[in-house]
Amino acid sequence: MGKNLKQAVKVAMALMIGLIVVLPFFWLILLSFKTDTAILNEPFSLPAGLELDNYRRALKVLNLPLLYKNTGILVIFTQILGLAVTFMSSYCLSRMVFKYEKVRNGFYVFLLIGLTIPSYLLLFPLYRVTIMFHLQNTYLSLILPLTATSVSFNTLIFVGFLRDFPGEIEEAAIIDGCGLANLCLRIVIPVIKPVFATLVVFNVIYVWNEYPLSVTLINDAAKMTVSLGASMFRSTYSMDYSGMVASAVLVIVPQLAFYILLQKYIIEGMTAGAVKG
Amino acid sequence: MRWISKMKSMAVMMIPSLLLYTVFIIMPVFVTIYYSFMKFTGVGRPAFIGIRNYINLFRDPFFFTALKNTCIILLMSAMILLPLSFLLALLLEKPFRGNGLCKAMVFSPYVIAPILVGVLWVFILDPSMGLINAFLKAVGLERFAMEWIGGKTLTPYSVAVVYMWQVLGFYTTVFIAGLRQIPGEIHEAGQIDGAGKLQSIVYIVLPMLRETITIVVVLIITGSFKIFETVQQLTNGGPNHLSDVLVTYMYHITFTSNRYGYGMSIATVTFIFAGICSIIYLKNAGSRLKKGNDR
Repeated sequence: MGKNLKQAVKVAMALMIGLIVVLPFFWLILLSFKTDTAILNEPFSLPAGLELDNYRRALKVLNLPLLYKNTGILVIFTQILGLAVTFMSSYCLSRMVFKYEKVRNGFYVFLLIGLTIPSYLLLFPLYRVTIMFHLQNTYLSLILPLTATSVSFNTLIFVGFLRDFPGEIEEAAIIDGCGLANLCLRIVIPVIKPVFATLVVFNVIYVWNEYPLSVTLINDAAKMTVSLGASMFRSTYSMDYSGMVASAVLVIVPQLAFYILLQKYIIEGMTAGAVKG
Repeated sequence: MRWISKMKSMAVMMIPSLLLYTVFIIMPVFVTIYYSFMKFTGVGRPAFIGIRNYINLFRDPFFFTALKNTCIILLMSAMILLPLSFLLALLLEKPFRGNGLCKAMVFSPYVIAPILVGVLWVFILDPSMGLINAFLKAVGLERFAMEWIGGKTLTPYSVAVVYMWQVLGFYTTVFIAGLRQIPGEIHEAGQIDGAGKLQSIVYIVLPMLRETITIVVVLIITGSFKIFETVQQLTNGGPNHLSDVLVTYMYHITFTSNRYGYGMSIATVTFIFAGICSIIYLKNAGSRLKKGNDR
């Protein structure tokens, strides 16, 4: 009996903490159906009805398709480029034979240093580079650095996994006359698909949420990402709180839905680095 | 695997990563350090001024305010977040009905864009229309309704709370992963020796989690030095830079005031501070680790 009670208290506590954490989301959704006067004067009143006017206003101001298109382009290109190049170098580091072991280790450590470099150190230099090459307001100005920031983490995970993974099948394939490109595409990649999934989850969320670099390099409204759009809410809506809430809901809810759908993989993918490092 | 290890194919495999990484991650660090010794306003050529930027830094009251605010956030996170995420991990480690739901709820803020986290918390912290003050007024505790953001003192504490809200689920998950690695037999052995719940946590679980704790602390240190979006959304450093943290102040100096050289000296110092904090902690943790092994 005592044990059951204890367990019940624990479960209740855990659920309470969980509910407190998600409370801000519900608060935001509740506010989004209310008028400005209701938000300011009677914050705890339930919305008068399913008032969709806020959303109508928000959709007029907010160019959602454009924001999603831009962010989507960044996500797709950074993922393809990043996974391709880091898989190649990681495969080389973990399977191919270097003349000197020290050289291999040197490259490996060099590629991991990036894990300790915070993005705020890079903002101004990348801004200079962008101006130098006249890349302001292009997707490319973001794609290249965003891909580069994934190199260290991808290397850590790829190499870690490939090292634990036996190479006999690959050796057999080589003896059967399989070339390097075929070996990677037909044999290695199909086997390590789960690692790709982990990295995609981690990097997609990073690129989707990225803000400091985009705000520094992009000021053309036509190239704005979701994060950049969201950063303008406070100035765009200034006193129109209900419009601002509705816009926030319009970008948070799809993200939450995506998370709920894939939460198991997302939690695993996002903690992989900390757990393995 | 010697058969496939021709010099040429190895170069083809390595060079794209190395090039991308060197040009966009490693070189910028040196560019930042280079500019921190320059006076540069965006027009003309940068002029070398030695360590003048760094000297100015130590005379700049705004810099010290930003440093103080960053430290407040760091200390609060270390003191509250570390035990809280550990205890929550203990609660959530064992399976029960609703366990998955709890984990999913606690983790959810971590996937939301930091900039949206800022927007969201405006509606909770804002003194005139935020949830907290509205709630305090509704239950008759109006005298506790304060300027959580935008005032002179409280903003960094509020930012710390928001930061903890963002990352609590992440650190809890890291702790759960650490707890799972402790073999069950050790708990059993402890029970046989008569260890109670609390004793087994203090004498068995915590020592075995040393590595996990080290990782979490270093991540908290580097993480709280990186906070940017939340401050920018909540107050944008205002009023008069009182709520700036190091990174937002650096951003302001660099990209709003166009004092690029000075901004880069702030960036460099911030990076060095974060590094020093991590190293001091790692050293202590390392010596404690050794002592533990000697015993």
